[in-house]
Amino acid sequence: MRPALRHLPVLIPALAIALWGCSGVVGGGPTGAGAAGTNGSGAAGNGVSGVSGAAGNGVAGAAGAGAGVVTGTAGDGALATCPTTAATPTPLRRLTKFEYANTARNLLGVDTTPVNDLPADEVTEGFNNNAGVLTVSSLHAEKYVLVSEALAKAAVKNLSTLTGGCNTTTKGEDACATEFANSFGRRAFRRAVTDQDRQMLMAAYTAGKTGGSYAEGIEVMVRAALQSAHFLYRLETTAPANPSAPLVPISQYELATRLSFLIWAAGPDDALLDAAGRGELADKAAVATKARAMLADPKARVAITDFYNQWLGTSRLDIMTKSTSLFPQYSDAVRDAMKAETPAFVEYVLWSGDHKLSTLLTSPTAFVSSALAPIYGVSTTSATPQMMSLPAAQARAGILTQASFLAVQAHPDQTSPVLRGKFVRTKLMCQTVPPPPMDVDITPPAVTSAPTARDRFTAHEMAGGSCMNCHQLMDPIGFAFESFDAIGKYRTTENGATINLAGNILAATDTSLNGTFTGVKELATKLAASDQVRDCVATQWFRYSTGRTEEVPDGCSLTTLQDAFGASGGDLGELVVAMTQTDAFWYRAPYSQ
Amino acid sequence: MNPLRFTRRNLLRGGLAATATVPLLDARRASGQTMTYPTRFVVFATPNGTRNSLFWPTGTETNFTLNTFTPDLAPFKSKLTFLKGIKLNPALQNGALGGTLGSEHARGTGGMLTGRPLKSGTQFKSFGNTTSGWGSGQSLDQYLATKLKPNTTFPSLQVGVHVRDTEVRARISYAGADMPIPPREDPKDVFGALFGMTTGGTGMTDPALARLWAQRKSVFDANNAETERIKALVGRTDKDKLDAHLSAMRDVEKRLVGMTGTGTMPGGLACTKPTMPADVDLKNDDLYLRAGQTQMDLAVAALACDQTRIITFQWSYSESEHLFSFLNISGNHHAISHDFSSSGANYDAYNKIQIWYQSQFAYLLGKMDAIKEGTGTLLDHSVVLWATEIGESTQHDLLQMPYVLAGSANGKIRAGRLLDYTSNKRDNNQMLVSIGQAMGDTSLTTFGDASGATGPLPNLA
Repeated sequence: MRPALRHLPVLIPALAIALWGCSGVVGGGPTGAGAAGTNGSGAAGNGVSGVSGAAGNGVAGAAGAGAGVVTGTAGDGALATCPTTAATPTPLRRLTKFEYANTARNLLGVDTTPVNDLPADEVTEGFNNNAGVLTVSSLHAEKYVLVSEALAKAAVKNLSTLTGGCNTTTKGEDACATEFANSFGRRAFRRAVTDQDRQMLMAAYTAGKTGGSYAEGIEVMVRAALQSAHFLYRLETTAPANPSAPLVPISQYELATRLSFLIWAAGPDDALLDAAGRGELADKAAVATKARAMLADPKARVAITDFYNQWLGTSRLDIMTKSTSLFPQYSDAVRDAMKAETPAFVEYVLWSGDHKLSTLLTSPTAFVSSALAPIYGVSTTSATPQMMSLPAAQARAGILTQASFLAVQAHPDQTSPVLRGKFVRTKLMCQTVPPPPMDVDITPPAVTSAPTARDRFTAHEMAGGSCMNCHQLMDPIGFAFESFDAIGKYRTTENGATINLAGNILAATDTSLNGTFTGVKELATKLAASDQVRDCVATQWFRYSTGRTEEVPDGCSLTTLQDAFGASGGDLGELVVAMTQTDAFWYRAPYSQ
Repeated sequence: MNPLRFTRRNLLRGGLAATATVPLLDARRASGQTMTYPTRFVVFATPNGTRNSLFWPTGTETNFTLNTFTPDLAPFKSKLTFLKGIKLNPALQNGALGGTLGSEHARGTGGMLTGRPLKSGTQFKSFGNTTSGWGSGQSLDQYLATKLKPNTTFPSLQVGVHVRDTEVRARISYAGADMPIPPREDPKDVFGALFGMTTGGTGMTDPALARLWAQRKSVFDANNAETERIKALVGRTDKDKLDAHLSAMRDVEKRLVGMTGTGTMPGGLACTKPTMPADVDLKNDDLYLRAGQTQMDLAVAALACDQTRIITFQWSYSESEHLFSFLNISGNHHAISHDFSSSGANYDAYNKIQIWYQSQFAYLLGKMDAIKEGTGTLLDHSVVLWATEIGESTQHDLLQMPYVLAGSANGKIRAGRLLDYTSNKRDNNQMLVSIGQAMGDTSLTTFGDASGATGPLPNLA
């Protein structure tokens, strides 16, 4: 454990901001705890500027007279140190649309196209699995009924496969139905079925069989299971041995479920449920072994890449638009090729390559299919992503220069140094930039007819005044991306003017990040070497895998995760496994009534 | 076009084997003893504010001239009420913790119909990572659906056009705190839910359909009972979530098992069943008009057929970057909305987009006014709120919201006026109270955050 001076998940260091007077205090973190200065009391290369002796997470010391920007993670103080003494209340997690589809596919072996009719999940903090807002509206309710009916109908077309080949002639239909209720019910509800479950499922069977058929009975049973709260939510209702304990150990089945959704974004299979039933997930070492094995399963790939798509924003490709007049090269085919590249690259790094975060950030390797080839200035006739190197002159580097990332971190009609810089600041450095304050005149200087984005944004947002204070944190990073247009195509000029790729990072907690650089490739190299970035990636994974933002009691879990990720040399596979070693993974908070 | 008949029960079958039925029979209709038409509430939400100098009419309360942004509203002038001088309440202006939680676009969206600030975001961060959470309470449409319990197939309907986004800035309707309700964006989905595919036509239920309904009923019963049981095993917040789940299930259950409400329309409905909409590529910004007008046609049909009395109709999302190349504009709406020039290409482009949205509002009003109900029209029996998340777009202003009401809500609103509260500004809460009262919740005196003023808007009713 590193008890102090870690990189804060969400923090703009007070010291630097204070000097610029970035207006508007955000969040409820403690103020005045830090001292104005250039380094606070945080050691170089470590994270807690202006906070002395704190655990180092979630606290930003606001320096200066009310001018600091503070965004404590939990909003109310330092994250706890080890050992963990309490658990953060974890909101009931409804399956996301993605998890529903994966789970249904595994359960029923059917095409899950009907699941597309479910409403898209709300996005919070860049992730669509934040439990707090995943609720069931009337629209969800309607679709849960209709989707379950479509899936069940398809599933019973292969009745024998679905029911494990149960022979109704020799065993009898009702006996086979009971057998199915037991086995299917266990997988659908992710635990041993109770008498009550069986009664419910068999009642549904009877409603279908009576006046109908065995197959119809099974079909209604499948519908009933898919509409059950036991399927739609990840319930953790096993009564604790000690109801008043601040840390409630979850049951073996609940642990298996967490593990399965963590690595497969789907419910557990029979083998994992068997292991839970036998109590084989009893210690952290056993779970780590299991996690590594699960990571090697093909199911892990689609699940883990979903995290990267959400983190990078490339999950937005589906709702992204581009001006066809300004970007005639862009098309649905190009979008689909972009959608294919990022998962292919992530799979390559995590499963074929060296697994390293530094590779993810700096690798010159691209995965190009024919529609994307003109964007990259290469040629291929392949309909699927082909691994290749891109022209060195483009100075591409890992995820940050993939066309998918560059396109979503831009506007429909132009690039955005703000969005790209903000991604680096918030998603790679885990620092928050506040919105423009309400009471400040946000009127920027008159628009110039300057040819490059740097000139235009400098005139608008970097020319002094209140805008500059916060835009300094983003735009000078984003300017280095300007060699790539709003669909990710390399360029050296904009409107006839040569593009200047000079960039600058201010106010990083890892001071080795601070300073100037040129172009994304240099930026990526800096980021790849930074422990602030490495810790931040661990924080993003923590948020995604817990379906919530870290809170005070999570301090030990978060540092455990970050330490393990660091100790592995930034191994992204080990990051997945390390989550299973945290207290946040093993415990829940007691339920308050 | 296929006029529905109301003298007997007709069944409509959906593409997925009866997703819905249209309620068609009510004995009271035939008797025609009363001529009170239900009051409807429609929210028409467009993004990215306005430009005050070109939006507000000039003149006096009863003698005013429409401005540049609303040319197509002229035919409905006597049915409009411009509400000038309404601000978002202090909590929404400032955010829940006294800071600026969420940008104005996000706050103006989450607060539009809730009258409440966004949650603090210690758990949620949204809107490009600025510190803000989701809406912190129930929106007026949901409040009224729950309170008035209209006897319609859909307690309320959320319709969207190219909303696409799923962040805080894209949700205006809330069942409760942290419970945003997504809109239906696909016209085929709206049609399927509202009108199914074909009528049974004989007054007899299709046996297969009756069977499906019975099976659904047994599944609903078993699962709802189990969800009730689970509530005792989870914490308080999760219990709220399961309550919302149960309430949603009960909302849809009646129509999915063939026991829909029948409405109380006197003398039959001036209702024409629309035809199944053609496929439209919802990802193509150039097809905005087609997607939007198809959705408006369906929304008006839903009201005319008394399928619902409460609709939120949302165009794109707040801070929308929608493209308008079909208006020969190359930039995106939000970027254009922040161009401060007082002339030039972007100035003209913003004006063109605002006028385009206005023409869509006029289209909706025209459709509603064409539905005759007794001696009036559907529009007369409605209160339609045209709202956007901010005021003056270049300023992210929240102190002068460009609200317009259309319709007189069955005589509850004296329309055809320009009400100017500028000298004594009113809070958006008061407008929400006024609408609630006009809809029939006459005892409503406060709505939304306590920082806002109470009571209805003066001089509106």
